[in-house]
Amino acid sequence: MHFYSIAGLTVGSEIALPGLGAAAPAHDTPDVTIRGGAVPTAFANATASGPTWQIAGQQFLLRIPRVARFLLTAGNEIAFEAEPGADAGDIPTFILGTAFGILLHQREQIVLHASAVRVNGKAVLFCGPSGAGKSTLAAAFSRHGYRLITDDFCAITVTAAGTPMVHPDGRQLKLWAQAIEKLDLEESRGKRVRSKLEKFYVDPGETHVEALPLGAVYALREARPPLVPGIERPNVADAAVLLRRNAYRPRLVARLDQKVLYFHAAATIAKNAGIFHLTRKLDFAAMPDVVSLLERHWLEIGLMEKAA
Amino acid sequence: MTRRIWLASYPKSGNTWLRMLLANLAAKDDQPVGINDLSATSNIASARGPFDDLLLIDSGLLTHDEADCLRPRLYEELARGAEDDEQDPRKTPPAVRFVKVHDAYTLTPMGEPLLAGARGADGAIVIVRDPRDVAPSLASHRNTGIDDAIAFMNDRDAVFSANTTKQDSQLRQKLPGWSGHITSWLDQADIPINLVRYEDLQIDTAAVLHRALEFAGQAATDHELRRAVRFADFARLKQQEEEKGFREAPRQLGARFFRRGEAGGWRDELTPDQAARIVSAHGAVMRRLGYDVTLAPLAAPSGAAGERDCAATG
Repeated sequence: MHFYSIAGLTVGSEIALPGLGAAAPAHDTPDVTIRGGAVPTAFANATASGPTWQIAGQQFLLRIPRVARFLLTAGNEIAFEAEPGADAGDIPTFILGTAFGILLHQREQIVLHASAVRVNGKAVLFCGPSGAGKSTLAAAFSRHGYRLITDDFCAITVTAAGTPMVHPDGRQLKLWAQAIEKLDLEESRGKRVRSKLEKFYVDPGETHVEALPLGAVYALREARPPLVPGIERPNVADAAVLLRRNAYRPRLVARLDQKVLYFHAAATIAKNAGIFHLTRKLDFAAMPDVVSLLERHWLEIGLMEKAA
Repeated sequence: MTRRIWLASYPKSGNTWLRMLLANLAAKDDQPVGINDLSATSNIASARGPFDDLLLIDSGLLTHDEADCLRPRLYEELARGAEDDEQDPRKTPPAVRFVKVHDAYTLTPMGEPLLAGARGADGAIVIVRDPRDVAPSLASHRNTGIDDAIAFMNDRDAVFSANTTKQDSQLRQKLPGWSGHITSWLDQADIPINLVRYEDLQIDTAAVLHRALEFAGQAATDHELRRAVRFADFARLKQQEEEKGFREAPRQLGARFFRRGEAGGWRDELTPDQAARIVSAHGAVMRRLGYDVTLAPLAAPSGAAGERDCAATG
């Protein structure tokens, strides 16, 4: 058994999961168990379904053709069975890159598609769909000495006192070859995420592993007309929609009847931290401007104190 | 059930103009639809977002071929009405949903139609334009010289968004040469098509638009047609872009999406050699579409235009 800490959960896995940070201590009853086994091709009693997935009560079936089928049960188990012709090395990639995020949805947790860095003891999140530049921006901040908290998804819980807390995904950065080159991260480049892709794990240096209070959420947008670079604070109603749209898989929020859950979380986050649009050019040359724009904003909203 | 109609074209062939015409049929308050409002609400078939959202798989972890194998599932799901699942239930879904697509009509590595054949759409409006006019427009769009654009249009392996060292915002699109692209759509037998020539759309916009709407199964009054033609007039679109910018314009500084929008503009932009190369490669399909392959450029392009092309290529 391999043990990890992912999104604040203890995880015991039959197979090693590359791309995670340090292994966690052994645990008799981990929150989540990952194991190989027989996984059906379909449910007979599906209550909801999509082209590659089905839901039947507490069970969720996901099929990635020529990789594996995953059976997620009650938010505490991921069983996998390789598909014919699969490359065994791909299975951990999709467990972490897709199945685990869905498992968090199944646990009725707020889970955002976001990277995060630590700013003065709080977590700052960068949200957006695949390709929005989340990892690249987090990597740029880790180059500036901010610790990485999370690369791909962010689990958020709210304490009894009403403080939203962010749980690190325990992962290394995943970056495309071009980003590694442009951000001068060749020395930190690790293994390929998949043998077929020019996408690599990148050691982010020191990471943060404890839960942190949420400082701010930025939804990433590209500056194309009529949008211009800058930071805007949407009104509360728009912020609620924005948060739901930036769930790890927005479609599942509706399918799992969690719209109300996200609505309440948005109100709490908007009040305690702040939900913003960050509009910037998708261009490495603009990165220093983006970093200083955000640092100024952190001073403005009181997340950072005036530097010496 | 909402009918789905592809707006299929090779790039720079009038697809966006037709989308603007269609959007302006429903113009509110007698105001033209903003060019940036159009793109905010309609996705191109190769958009990455719906793929990740509906299949739940991170497309950024897939190779281009693997993503292609799954794309038919995406279009089937969209045709089932997945876009309306998230909408306010009080809103009636539209009678017809038009979806822009630049992909050629190809088969996936598994041998099924990439766009899911009749399970993905009810039909396609195929928009074509004289390739001699496409070439200078494509050169401007891709920030290359005209010769590069001609080479791209002759390349059976040409692709958009096919990077392997970074993630493009769209899924890969195969554009197997201008002729290959057009014939892939004209010769497929899965879905009915309505062929629109850019040049005919210019000559009698209302009539061509009316026929396309009849094909799609959407009603429009004469007033709506006339108003759409007026609101989506090329000069007005160009003016909107000049005033506010267009989010679909190329990213390089100062680049414009709406350029000349003329039929036959190539006659003062191409050299005789460039025009001859296009006809040599695409003459058969040009004739099939009724383009006069015997036309020649009016005169040699001015020195300035030639220099600009050299600079852009270098």
